[in-house]
Amino acid sequence: MTDAPVTSAPADAASDIPRNPPQRSLTLHRALARVWANDRGLWGQITAVSHTTLGLRFMATALVFFAIGGILSMLIRAQLATPQGAFLDTELYNQIFTMHGSIMMFLFAIPMLEGLGIWLLPKMLGTRDMAFPRLTALGYWCYLFGGLIMLSALLFGVAPRDGWFMYTPLSDATHSPGINADVWLLGVTFVEISAIAAAVEITVTILRQRAPGMKLTAMPLFGWYMLGTSVMMLVGFPPLIAGSVLLEIERAFDWPFFDPARGGDPLLWQHLFWLFGHPEVYIIFLPAAGVMSMMIPILSRTTILGYGAIVAAVLGLVFLSFGLWVHHMFTVGIPHMALAFFSAASVLVAVPTAVQVFAWIGTMWKGRPQLVLPMYHILGFFLTFVMGGLTGVMLAIVPFNWQAHDTAFVTAHLHYVLIGGFVFPMMAAATYWMPLITGKRRIDGLGEAAFWVILIGFHGTFFIMHLTGLLGMPRRIDVYPDNPEWIWLNLTSSIFGFVLTIGFAMFALDLILQATLGKRAARDPWEAPTLDWAMPVPAPNYNFASLPLPEQAACGAAQAALTLARGEGVLPGAPRGRREVLVSTVSGARPLHVAVLPGNTALPLALSASIGGFVLLMLAGLYALAGAALVPVAVLIWVWARGMAPSGDMAQVQAAPGLRLPVHFRAGVTLGQSGLVAFLVANGTLFASLLFGLAFLEVVTPGPAAPSASVEHLTMGWAMGFVVATAGLGVLAARASGSGAALAGLLVNLLALAGVLWIGAQLDDPTRHARDALRAVVAGYVGLHLLVAAGMAGFVLDQLRRGEITPDTPGAAPAWRLWQEFTAVTTLITALVILVQAGVV
Amino acid sequence: MRWLGLSLLGPLLWALLFVAVYGAHGMACAGVTGPEGLGTGARLTMVGLWLAGLLAHGALLLALPHGAGLQRFLPRAGAWIGLGASAVTLFPVVLVTSC
Repeated sequence: MTDAPVTSAPADAASDIPRNPPQRSLTLHRALARVWANDRGLWGQITAVSHTTLGLRFMATALVFFAIGGILSMLIRAQLATPQGAFLDTELYNQIFTMHGSIMMFLFAIPMLEGLGIWLLPKMLGTRDMAFPRLTALGYWCYLFGGLIMLSALLFGVAPRDGWFMYTPLSDATHSPGINADVWLLGVTFVEISAIAAAVEITVTILRQRAPGMKLTAMPLFGWYMLGTSVMMLVGFPPLIAGSVLLEIERAFDWPFFDPARGGDPLLWQHLFWLFGHPEVYIIFLPAAGVMSMMIPILSRTTILGYGAIVAAVLGLVFLSFGLWVHHMFTVGIPHMALAFFSAASVLVAVPTAVQVFAWIGTMWKGRPQLVLPMYHILGFFLTFVMGGLTGVMLAIVPFNWQAHDTAFVTAHLHYVLIGGFVFPMMAAATYWMPLITGKRRIDGLGEAAFWVILIGFHGTFFIMHLTGLLGMPRRIDVYPDNPEWIWLNLTSSIFGFVLTIGFAMFALDLILQATLGKRAARDPWEAPTLDWAMPVPAPNYNFASLPLPEQAACGAAQAALTLARGEGVLPGAPRGRREVLVSTVSGARPLHVAVLPGNTALPLALSASIGGFVLLMLAGLYALAGAALVPVAVLIWVWARGMAPSGDMAQVQAAPGLRLPVHFRAGVTLGQSGLVAFLVANGTLFASLLFGLAFLEVVTPGPAAPSASVEHLTMGWAMGFVVATAGLGVLAARASGSGAALAGLLVNLLALAGVLWIGAQLDDPTRHARDALRAVVAGYVGLHLLVAAGMAGFVLDQLRRGEITPDTPGAAPAWRLWQEFTAVTTLITALVILVQAGVV
Repeated sequence: MRWLGLSLLGPLLWALLFVAVYGAHGMACAGVTGPEGLGTGARLTMVGLWLAGLLAHGALLLALPHGAGLQRFLPRAGAWIGLGASAVTLFPVVLVTSC
């Protein structure tokens, strides 16, 4: 492959768009700043929906959680510094090591990459905001509240204590009484709302909001990496959500999904968890690799080597990472052939990773690397991550895995991969983009010292741990015998652990000093050719006074910044007094329409607080009240949807001379519809996870066979046929138009829901056997979807009544149609599964 | 847009083959397909599935257009990734004889 430019290349479809005439920069800036500004004061903080504000807030909050997780790790190392440490008792130690892992994975790494994507992508892709600003805010509040719930549990002594993996039966109601495990299950699921929200909007923003003419094949590599990450999140998180919901139901209502005595299987939890857990490693790594692919060529004064090979490697990683999860389960007694399959896949995944590493090294080789602070951290990444990758290949080999499993060797490996593959690149990224965040230059010296202290502290802590593990020391223990071989190794790890912490504190101090005392930074300090620097520093909320055309994007950030600030790009200023972005075709980025984004609102906060109320009531065991708490959630979702109703000036927008575009209310496929498709991908994966559970229990689980179903076959067959037929009628209604069709859609969905409820009442007691329990959950899934479909039909009816749906403005009708079709398909599959299991067909 | 879909074909074929062979293996070891477990019939089925999958990968590679540019390169790269992954990760069906 030949080298590709870092910036977007001109596209035929958009290259003939003429420039707008230059305007006065200051006038444009003032108009845009007024429209895109957050409200003032505390209210402004609560109602902000800007990607710049929320992206930074995500990252800052994640850093706070990182510090808390780091303090917990110091407590762990203090306890393990001596063999029979009495610093922490066993119960508290278990809570602390569980919370350390959970915080670092769910409250630091994932939100950090979400924040990075939310903050950086619009700037790099040449747009003004993410596709769904209110969803960004909802994700942030869900993350914050979920994280606070988990943290407060630690303060009250009821934090999760069963490991960040929450294995059953350790975490079932018998072995883990109290609410500790519930805090994890509900808290993590709450937090994961933000992950799904971020994945949906990142996917849509990359595919639909790139600058005019920025072809997919020439977009900045960070876009490819984030696209891969977001797709992985859409497919990777639902198995964890499914597993968490099942385990919470088991703990709350005694439905025995994981109880071997009643046909369940603890290994089902492990499968669902690691179906998420292994792709999660790549979900964390890919964005970090994305920023590496952006920074290395710029800091080496050259272009990236092997753009196409890197994109292909990302594609390969996205797929292969879903074929590895069983390598976390090599010791649980799975069949030989499965061991061989997953061992081979685990070794194979090193290939696309190596392609990227060689591309980065080759880029540095052909360029002139500058030894500036971000490059220090990049070199730290190479050293650390490659070592972690190599021990990963060792662990992929089954016989070695059997020896090293559950020892400190694995702890060392995962820290090499996660700190090497994520934390070092994030530190490089922070030092690289700080001028754009703060508008300040850094103060030389402290950052470099911090790097060396971190590097020495890290390797002193974790390299030693390989030896500790090879000498047989298990992980997750709070005391260990007076084995002379282990004592000095543990003490050394503990001492260097504190060195590492000091290094991170110095790094944080460097950032604070830069933000507060640094001198004013120049625009584009790295002389980068990418669009993220083609704006003032610090970056304004609206990013670009006008959106870049291909020739502007190709002429370097400094030059582009001038012409864009003068409004010579597309869609200059804010003449209509509303937040506008350009929506384009997926491949060629040909402008299609102008989307009007919502302004500041407290609705996301209210909605996440309502969901938080539901979570707290569930934790308190007040299940009836928790059910009632879903009513305000539904009302707020309705209000949210009302905010998307067609309103305001519907006239076409003059985006450039000769380029008039419709507003999104009158457009074909809107951002909202694309977002719904992305959400349905995640939703479909959730459904598939439940079906996987059914198949697993049927085929693999050795437990007692399910008792025969007590329901009468013919009756069940008719009932299922009725539900499927009514859901199918719902599709016909959704495809038709007019009030009559919407009313019919509402009624048939309610009828189908009644049918599902009747079937649910006929099904066997779900506490009897795991198969019965899972069948009831799948039926509940369908019922919930029919209820939502009925709600959407009702919403469309309301829009018709208000006159918001016309031949030109389809309103919510396309979204209802999409949902109804998805519901009909899942209903049909569920009916077939239940009928087959019941022996009817 | 079509090139993006074509780029996914190779890895998707691998995923499909992985599920099919692993599913066949699971059913055989669970005794669903017969009392002999992972007997000759089941192994022949799996090997047959694997070989058929490799042929499908090969056919995909032959069918994809050659040429320069990322829109041509990515579908072919995806097809090679799928072929390599199927060849390596499913090769154990030839060697492993027990559950």
